[in-house]
Amino acid sequence: MIEIKKTYKNYVNGKYVRSESGKTFTVDLKDGVYEIPLSSRKDIRDAVVSSKTGFKQWSKTTPFTRMQILYRLSEMIEGNKDSYIELLKSHGVSAQSAKKDVELSIQNLVWFAGLADKWEQLTGNLNPVSGEYFNISHQNPIGVVFSLNKDELSLNLLLQSILPPLTVGCSVISLSDNASVLALKFAEDINNSDLPSGVLNMMSGNFELIHEDVSKHVEINLISIHSSINDEILKNIEENASLSVKRVKHLPSNEGLSSILPYLETKTVWHPKGT
Amino acid sequence: MVEWNYSESIESSSIVDIKNKYQNYIGGDFVSPLSKKYLDTISPSTEETLTKIPLSNKSDVDKAVQAAQEGFKVWSKTSPNDRAKYLFKLARLIQERSREFAVLESIDGGKPIKESRDFDLPQVAANFFYFAGWADKLDISWGTKALKPYGVVGQIIPWNFPLLMLAWKVAPALATGNAVVLKPAETTSLTALHFAELCEIAGIPPGVVNIISGDGSTGSELVNHSGINKIAFTGSTQVGKLIQKSLAGKDVGLTLELGGKAANIVYEDAAIDQAVEGVVNGIFFNQGHVCCAGSRLLLQESIQEEFIRKLEKRMQSLRVGNPLDKNTDIGAINSKEQLNKISSMVDEGVSDGGELFQIECELPGNGFWFKPSLFTNVQPSYNIAREEIFGPVLTTLTFRTPDEAIEIANNTEYGLSAGIWTEKGSKILWTADRLEAGVVWANTFNKFDPSSPFGGYKESGFGREGGRQGLLSYLKAES
Repeated sequence: MIEIKKTYKNYVNGKYVRSESGKTFTVDLKDGVYEIPLSSRKDIRDAVVSSKTGFKQWSKTTPFTRMQILYRLSEMIEGNKDSYIELLKSHGVSAQSAKKDVELSIQNLVWFAGLADKWEQLTGNLNPVSGEYFNISHQNPIGVVFSLNKDELSLNLLLQSILPPLTVGCSVISLSDNASVLALKFAEDINNSDLPSGVLNMMSGNFELIHEDVSKHVEINLISIHSSINDEILKNIEENASLSVKRVKHLPSNEGLSSILPYLETKTVWHPKGT
Repeated sequence: MVEWNYSESIESSSIVDIKNKYQNYIGGDFVSPLSKKYLDTISPSTEETLTKIPLSNKSDVDKAVQAAQEGFKVWSKTSPNDRAKYLFKLARLIQERSREFAVLESIDGGKPIKESRDFDLPQVAANFFYFAGWADKLDISWGTKALKPYGVVGQIIPWNFPLLMLAWKVAPALATGNAVVLKPAETTSLTALHFAELCEIAGIPPGVVNIISGDGSTGSELVNHSGINKIAFTGSTQVGKLIQKSLAGKDVGLTLELGGKAANIVYEDAAIDQAVEGVVNGIFFNQGHVCCAGSRLLLQESIQEEFIRKLEKRMQSLRVGNPLDKNTDIGAINSKEQLNKISSMVDEGVSDGGELFQIECELPGNGFWFKPSLFTNVQPSYNIAREEIFGPVLTTLTFRTPDEAIEIANNTEYGLSAGIWTEKGSKILWTADRLEAGVVWANTFNKFDPSSPFGGYKESGFGREGGRQGLLSYLKAES
């Protein structure tokens, strides 16, 4: 019997799409060679349009619903645990590490799902201003986040780069290079998870080829870089970012509450008290 | 029209002793600049030369950064509770000498004495008091011990609230265990240089606070110095972008407090008289030299006529003149350069087609002055409706529905502050949720408190000053 091989595509605006450039790059796995999208400048632009729509919807989705959707994503992964382990193994990851990685991923996802309706109680507060005023600081999600995934073959690390912005209501464009097949497979679970279209966009490609377009795009509000990149490229990204005071986070913390802080804007509202 | 005549009531300037020449404060000593160069500093209300301040160069910056590196070693070993005590002590010293500083601020910067005395100085002391108490509670501030000070922080501050901006920068930086090199604005360095004396009296260890005066070139040397671990800047968006660019690729922390073009939204169901008062305070406070000034008045169409009539009448009662006169509402424009900028933007607004109202008043012969101004009949595309004027000029736009108000309010690269005027609570909350602004004042405007975080969205910068969130500007997450 002939085995049929899956075609991996980008996942943008809730749809599986090839790169508009028609270009691909090759990933050599144990079960065969895969041609996956080499995302172009135009693909990034499309993803930003999608993310803006996604952000509008996701940021006004109630925390309670966001929590349930993220939890449902963990249900999806749990159901497909074996296929993730197989895929990691075909990348050369040991069976034991692969299993541990998927279990950690689910653990992490459940942790963040449960944070979706609580973080604001940890990051916001009333301010004891002197005078008869009600004064409260709370946080809004920063908007459209471009996230460069690590090169390690790990579902858990991929999730760690995506979940902090997602949990607080940002939309995310996640680009993977070395871990692309894994990321594009994960897109299938996103598609089944009730996450509104455009909230999480998964793309594959070579960041060096598109970093200029990403860093100059004024509608990307924050760039988070989770892999170690070449100093010159980092400098160039940060220079371009300065044109629109774009936030750039290089190797941000993945730990606890500090993981979500980069993706928040603090808003403080004052109102007088009186009769 | 009712004539409002007041007798002059001039605050005596004898309380301040302005020296013939100032020195930098580096490593606990007052030292002459290695550059051997000085700048004249003038009073914007008389154009009189007050004194000379150092024009620090690269060598001066280098010396200050080295002193700060030594200072950091001592300060980071100082117990948190002792750091708190030093800051409390500073706060007390400021309170005790607050009148002297207020008068100096008004002479050097041109702001009315009633503001420097009743707003700036009390807020300066309050900031040191507030952050003093955080110094020994950092471990419980964000529920983690992984937050550490940066080390040496370079701080560059503007001329609109000279000593208050110093307090916003220095107090949290010291509370979190950093050492600082602060560069005040070239037109308003005197209160910062006097503040250095307080640091000496308080016994702050040498090198923990270093203050060097100079111009943009000094600031640029500070930003680019390899010994700096973090830069905190307050100023224009244009300069902020240059700083962000200079730091690209470097492992240097950055927070930016930049420009604004705040929408002050007045709904038809607002308490109109209160709103008029709030709008006047929102734009004319400190001559409009306020980054969060309510410079775009958004009026609901149905109340436009009545509101403008009341606003013009209220504006006419503003008293422009000698900053040291206790009756003065609007003091001098901070510099000739700023006056020229305001004038040319207003001229452009008129030639674009805006309708200009200016109050009738006499302006002093010497000094830099600008009459409180109001534009109506403005299109959102005009520069006066888009760009920060940083002067006593209010631009009016109108809207029909709340949705439209939000759209206009957010249609700007800035996102520092905004105002909402309505008597309907649900509308306040609905509006506040949708405004892209770091500070939202509802039925009030231009209120500040050290416990209340301040800072912008979008091109108004990043990071917060004040409050628990303000601590994060001076602490970095270390795993």
